[in-house]
Amino acid sequence: MIINTDSTKPIYVQIAEWLENEIIAERFTDDEKVYSQYQLAELFNINPATAAKGLTILVEDKILYKKRGLGMFVAPEAKMMILEKRRSQTLTKMVTDIVLEAKRLSVTKAELIQLIHNCEVEI
Amino acid sequence: MNVIDCQKVSKGFRRTNALESISFQLTDQKITGVIGRNGAGKTTLLKILAGLTKHKSGEVNVFGKNPYNNLMVSANSILVDDQMTFPDSLTLEELLRSAPAFYKRWDAQLASRLFQYFKLDSKQQHSKLSKGARATFNMIFGLSTRCELTMFDEPTNGMDEAVRTDFYRALLKDYITHPRSILISSHHLAEIEHLLEDILLIHNGNVVLHDSIDEVKEFAVAVQGPIADVERWTAGEKVFHSKIIDGQRLYVVVKNNLELERARLEGAFIQVLSASEVCMYVTSETKGGIDDVFK
Repeated sequence: MIINTDSTKPIYVQIAEWLENEIIAERFTDDEKVYSQYQLAELFNINPATAAKGLTILVEDKILYKKRGLGMFVAPEAKMMILEKRRSQTLTKMVTDIVLEAKRLSVTKAELIQLIHNCEVEI
Repeated sequence: MNVIDCQKVSKGFRRTNALESISFQLTDQKITGVIGRNGAGKTTLLKILAGLTKHKSGEVNVFGKNPYNNLMVSANSILVDDQMTFPDSLTLEELLRSAPAFYKRWDAQLASRLFQYFKLDSKQQHSKLSKGARATFNMIFGLSTRCELTMFDEPTNGMDEAVRTDFYRALLKDYITHPRSILISSHHLAEIEHLLEDILLIHNGNVVLHDSIDEVKEFAVAVQGPIADVERWTAGEKVFHSKIIDGQRLYVVVKNNLELERARLEGAFIQVLSASEVCMYVTSETKGGIDDVFK
């Protein structure tokens, strides 16, 4: 992954999301040690404090846990929690955007549902 | 501990005031970007911090001391810019060899490795170097001093794209292994954004913003929509920039706040700005901008 500084997402959010994706893909499994802030800084060419912020939000979400002096580790059930979080937050936000855009384009509710149906069939 | 503590610092040159009243503190071991338009006062501020010029009023403390004419401060800090001069009686190689006498934390290995990597000519004199090579040498010198306070004033002026990228990478890698306080001034924020922890935004000789890069990024947003709606959504807000598009739609940059989320649901087009755009709009002088010149 290449960090996109022009993105609407702050760099630390991009780092947190990248780590989440690694956990979803099971490249990090339960109780495995993840990269330190310095390794992340080196890896993505970013300030270590920014990398630390990315790790901190995952600790706050209980996806990672800290072992004093040893580093950050993947919490048990982390993958489940990430999937759950993405469903409830990310998907809700995306749906809001879709509904807003539909409103702008005067697409009715029925038409929107039809679009989703069509999409499902294609996939 | 505060490495730098400035209280109402001012500096004037004849009729103009380069620094009006600068107040800020800088805590230990951070990389801070000093950002501002041309003539904002970045260089003047860095020169005062390095002890190269004397401020007019207010109080400046670097490592708890007034930096002007102070040996302790000058042994522990360095300002890298394109006005650095080195004696021409010495070759580049000799310059690097004499450096440890002035900087006790000098890293000779780092200096010679960087010197070889960037393929500088060790027998050359500093004043005979091309603009890009001089900037590269100054950067190598500045990094290798490992000074507790290392300041770069537009360090990449004259460097080509590849050298710039290498320089920023070298700076970051060395900072990771040897954390220290680093100030970098630039008017290309986008180029250094990823390296920074904090931003110090200077405008007309004053500090306008001093915050972490993410806070700066979230400081302002752009709102676009029909004129009447945008005016209603942003009523009472501080407008940094406004522009009418097609005579019907209004584009404004305002301070970010939660109420804008409601505007989004009402159909406002809200755009998140990059840190460099925020800095640009917050320091913009006039409403309208370049388009008005051509009216």
